[in-house]
Amino acid sequence: MENLQSLLHGFTIAVTVPHLTLMVIGVLLGILVGVLPGLGAPNGVSLLLPLTFGMQPVSAIILLSSMYWGALFGGSVTSILFNIPGEPSSVATTFDGYPMARDGRPTTALATAFGSAAFGALVGVILITFLASWVAQVALAFGPPEYFAVYFLAFASFVGMGGAAPIKTVVALAIGFAIAAIGIDTVSGSVRLTMGIDELVKGVSFVVAVMGLFGIGELLIAVEEEFQARAVSSKVDWKEVFRALGRLPRYGIALLRSAAIGCWMGITPGGPTAASFMSYGIAKRFSHNGARFGSGEAEGIIAPETADHAAGTSALLPMLSLGIPGSATAAVMMGGLMIWGLNPGPMLFVDQKDFVWGLIASMYVGNIVAVALVLLTVPVFAALMRIPFAVIAPLIVIICVVGAYSVSNSYLDVVLMLGFGVVGYLFKKLHYPLAPLVLAIVIGDKAEDAFRQAMLMSKGSLGIFFANRLVTTLVLAGMALLLLPLALQIVRLLRKPDEAAHEKVRII
Amino acid sequence: MISRRALEIATAALTGIFGVVVVVSSIDNGIGWSSAGVDAGTFPFLTGVIIVLGSLYNMGQGAMGRGTLAIVRIAVTPSELRRLAGLFVPAAIFVAVIPLVGMYLASAGYVFAVLALPRRQSVLRALVIAAATPLALYVVFERMFQVSLPHGALAAAFGF
Repeated sequence: MENLQSLLHGFTIAVTVPHLTLMVIGVLLGILVGVLPGLGAPNGVSLLLPLTFGMQPVSAIILLSSMYWGALFGGSVTSILFNIPGEPSSVATTFDGYPMARDGRPTTALATAFGSAAFGALVGVILITFLASWVAQVALAFGPPEYFAVYFLAFASFVGMGGAAPIKTVVALAIGFAIAAIGIDTVSGSVRLTMGIDELVKGVSFVVAVMGLFGIGELLIAVEEEFQARAVSSKVDWKEVFRALGRLPRYGIALLRSAAIGCWMGITPGGPTAASFMSYGIAKRFSHNGARFGSGEAEGIIAPETADHAAGTSALLPMLSLGIPGSATAAVMMGGLMIWGLNPGPMLFVDQKDFVWGLIASMYVGNIVAVALVLLTVPVFAALMRIPFAVIAPLIVIICVVGAYSVSNSYLDVVLMLGFGVVGYLFKKLHYPLAPLVLAIVIGDKAEDAFRQAMLMSKGSLGIFFANRLVTTLVLAGMALLLLPLALQIVRLLRKPDEAAHEKVRII
Repeated sequence: MISRRALEIATAALTGIFGVVVVVSSIDNGIGWSSAGVDAGTFPFLTGVIIVLGSLYNMGQGAMGRGTLAIVRIAVTPSELRRLAGLFVPAAIFVAVIPLVGMYLASAGYVFAVLALPRRQSVLRALVIAAATPLALYVVFERMFQVSLPHGALAAAFGF
């Protein structure tokens, strides 16, 4: 009940004219970056970040999180109308969304997508409302070893469940850690990994990395694929919107299942992209319409959209209560929190009640604002897609350059950003995951500090990670996740000779 | 044409070299345990070692043509490569001239060059967009958010 009271208090903060205005601005900007290929939620949010430094933290986070919701919705618009996912997490929406729109039912496809997305987001926010403060309370008792164990678990779950090649994930994570270590070491004060470049003493900002990895990298991928917008009609028929929304409860089981998958993948840092694919795959296997998936089946839109938004929303739970972001965008927002002078983690729920509950309340309101705005602006943003890519691409390059520069008025950052762009292209091309890389850059320092403090406590003995039941469980769970891909591989190898034998039998 | 194998090996080499640099540089910081706790170089040293080992594994997998992308033989076709260069080379030149001519001139020139030279857009339209870009940057950054963008050596020479 205390949670509900805090939530009501949160609403009094979120539902004010300036904050509602910020939500509208954030959502519109979010839809814009979501619609434009090459600009996504992570670099949209990091672009806006330097502009929030003068704001109250609660206003700033409302602006940034609204942008996140807008981007999640915007990505689906282009997936459905143009067969071009504006965001990696809405790739799975193209499978059934575009065929449905092409068959002359674009409004149905859009309304189904937004309706289920709103449901997914709602489940995520409810989860945060009731669980976040409880998790934070538990986490208040954490010491450095427990913290390191939680970080370890988060990183291990990327390797075990991220879906990319495990060793590629490990390399991406380790590179992120190394980049986080560049600059002055906070514990000893010595300068690390600057490779003789004095300006690197200040470290490499995650904003610069995100601009390059997601902005330039994605742009290079987009230009390589020579994308062409072949739009289906983008007119919205309002009666059909309500009819499509009315049909949603029929897919109750699919909605609930997808929301559960999304929440799980959001809290354990699997991220929205993995969640939407997983949910689509599972829906295809379990639905009785499974065979019709891919030809414009409503369930094929509901499953990825619900999971995508549930994951995107619940990714903020571990960010708020533990200081571990559940997705790349959440990582950027958490970096923002630290810049505004807040300390993400359980103490937020004690020291910054207004901030936390204002944010949570704004998530309810912000998603409603997002659904309304996205439906109203579909024709406008669809028209935007008709601007030739040749015009948009250089503008996005300029936005990324200015964005990287404005972080700390440094030209070196711009050059680094371009370098990160090349790395982002190569990594995307070869399926190295980018989210763990960004995550490690943002929380690498904290993970290292936790490790070193734990070592100080134990005078250098690793035994401290097995000192009590909680920390042992966390470490063992992390190790199990790390070894999961290896175990699966062994199982597959053991099965192979068997399958080969079966084949032979069949041939005979 | 770039084969996937070559790209895989090159990327693994790139990450591997980064790993070696990290390892070497963190040995200078000191690794291991001292009276002040874990030495500054220890954590980066470990990550460096992990990067090197992981890169070697990825390189091996790439060279043998195994892994998730094994079916994809060709990573970048010549026409794709041309399009990539068409975006990246002008962007790199744009970044390179910023210290010289400043953000405003560089961005205007960049937009104009990219739009007008391949004759994708009419010269007039390219001119309009090229003029609007720095103006928008000026209004948003210098005026609204008080972020000063680099004016360049050229502007400094003229006394701005």
